[in-house]
Amino acid sequence: MSAFLQFLISDYVIHLAVLICIYSILSQSLNLTFGLGRLFNLAHIASCALGAYATAILSTEFLMPFWVCVPASIFLSSVFALTLGAISLRLATDYFAIGTLAFSSVITAILINWRDVTRGVLGVPGIPRPEILGIDFYQNINFLILVFAAAIFVNVVFYFIQTGSFGRSLRALAEYEEAAQALGRNTRVIRNKAFIFSSAGAGLAGSFLAYYLNYIDPSSFGFNEMVFVMTIVIVGRPGSFWGMFAATAFLVLLPEPLRFLEIPSAYLGQVRQLLQALILFGVVYWKRKSLFPEQRQV
Amino acid sequence: MSILKVDDLRVSFQGNVIINGLSFSVEKGQTVGIIGPNGSGKTTLFNSISGFVSVTGGAISYNGREIQNLMPNERASLGIGRVFQNFGIFREMSLVENILLALEGSSSGKANAAKVGLAEMKTRSIEFLKEVKLETKADSKAGSLSGGQMRLLEIIRTLAFGADLFLLDEPTAGVSPRMKDDVAGLIKKLQGIGKTVLIIEHDINFIQKFCNRIIVLNEGRVVLDDTPELVRKNEQLKEIYFGGEA
Repeated sequence: MSAFLQFLISDYVIHLAVLICIYSILSQSLNLTFGLGRLFNLAHIASCALGAYATAILSTEFLMPFWVCVPASIFLSSVFALTLGAISLRLATDYFAIGTLAFSSVITAILINWRDVTRGVLGVPGIPRPEILGIDFYQNINFLILVFAAAIFVNVVFYFIQTGSFGRSLRALAEYEEAAQALGRNTRVIRNKAFIFSSAGAGLAGSFLAYYLNYIDPSSFGFNEMVFVMTIVIVGRPGSFWGMFAATAFLVLLPEPLRFLEIPSAYLGQVRQLLQALILFGVVYWKRKSLFPEQRQV
Repeated sequence: MSILKVDDLRVSFQGNVIINGLSFSVEKGQTVGIIGPNGSGKTTLFNSISGFVSVTGGAISYNGREIQNLMPNERASLGIGRVFQNFGIFREMSLVENILLALEGSSSGKANAAKVGLAEMKTRSIEFLKEVKLETKADSKAGSLSGGQMRLLEIIRTLAFGADLFLLDEPTAGVSPRMKDDVAGLIKKLQGIGKTVLIIEHDINFIQKFCNRIIVLNEGRVVLDDTPELVRKNEQLKEIYFGGEA
């Protein structure tokens, strides 16, 4: 029994638990726009990157505390969300996806080229773990408690957003925009709010990611990461609140058994990506008729 | 005063004139049938009133206020309700959720929702479903309903939203003959509570049961505007539909 307890509080298990908490915030927030709203938002990871860099720069360059860095990350990502909202009103479906991908590329380009602020490809090292009310979060177990509390809080907030009046309006707009407008729904306001909530969640996840990893660079927020989070939402069933938990845990833990197989470590990353790609393809192929509701228009 | 006034309305798409100087007005409480051959501009007229297409000229007034530049949701909030030809219900949602969307969307509903809570709003939704005998399916997905039931749900949802003017675009399309009577019964209920109803319909026998007036459109213009009896007898109607061969 004590050996099992030792395993549970080992750095390995704590590391996985922290990742599950961070990705649960990231996937639940993407689920709002991509899952519930059917807005093919490929800039979610860019929102996460902005949140991560805000925390990284404020905490290393300006020695700002947790209570400043986290709100700043959320704020910066939310402002970015207004850009996504503007695109979504001008570009429909596939074109919206391309538009958000373009904006994501712009953010990556800024992170790489604005070296005076972001240190470019060198990234930002030495991001200190937060210290709150005298509690030192350098200890991984303490950090897990902090990020777990944040994940629970964010998920409860998203639960009420998704199942309440706002979530209903978003689902209605996704299914039949004109019918929702005929019931007094303002597309612009609802989509902008959805992007703000979603990006705020991504910004918060980015902030925790920066604190946890102590180092970030532009490659931490590449297209592969976007595909990974999107895979979580698709596997968890778009729009499903509880599905996100199961899918996040499943996909974060999926590559772990590979560590115990005799696969050379150099190939582990590729095998992990291959597995994720196969799962994504399988779900999209077998569930293509039920993943998203049919979109109708007048 | 007219509840709805359409004055010299013009709508074009990519150079094609769909509505060409269309004018009429509707008094409060009237039930008006709109008929005409395919392509005569019936649905475009409804889309212009609802705000889903931009007009190229003319004016649309609702309760004396010009609305042609308002957003669709703003027009809906003024009391213009729309029932869509291809079923405007949200099939992935339950029947209760469909009604809740209407209750929460109306200007008075927003305040009520905050005041009375979700449980009370659900109770009110069930009351509306009882009006169309769908309360036993309250938690089923709306997509599981038959065509006639979907139509009843959409009309009662528009009533729950608080609309005063109902724009019903082919309410019997996709509805079984037996259910047509239920739809007709619901439209009569709307008349009974003083609602103004405009109905696009191909079946003149269906609409003459409750219409005070029938407007016949052809090539984007009003060509006849009279009582159902006189419209039926008018030779011009046969010419429009059958090219004068009938």
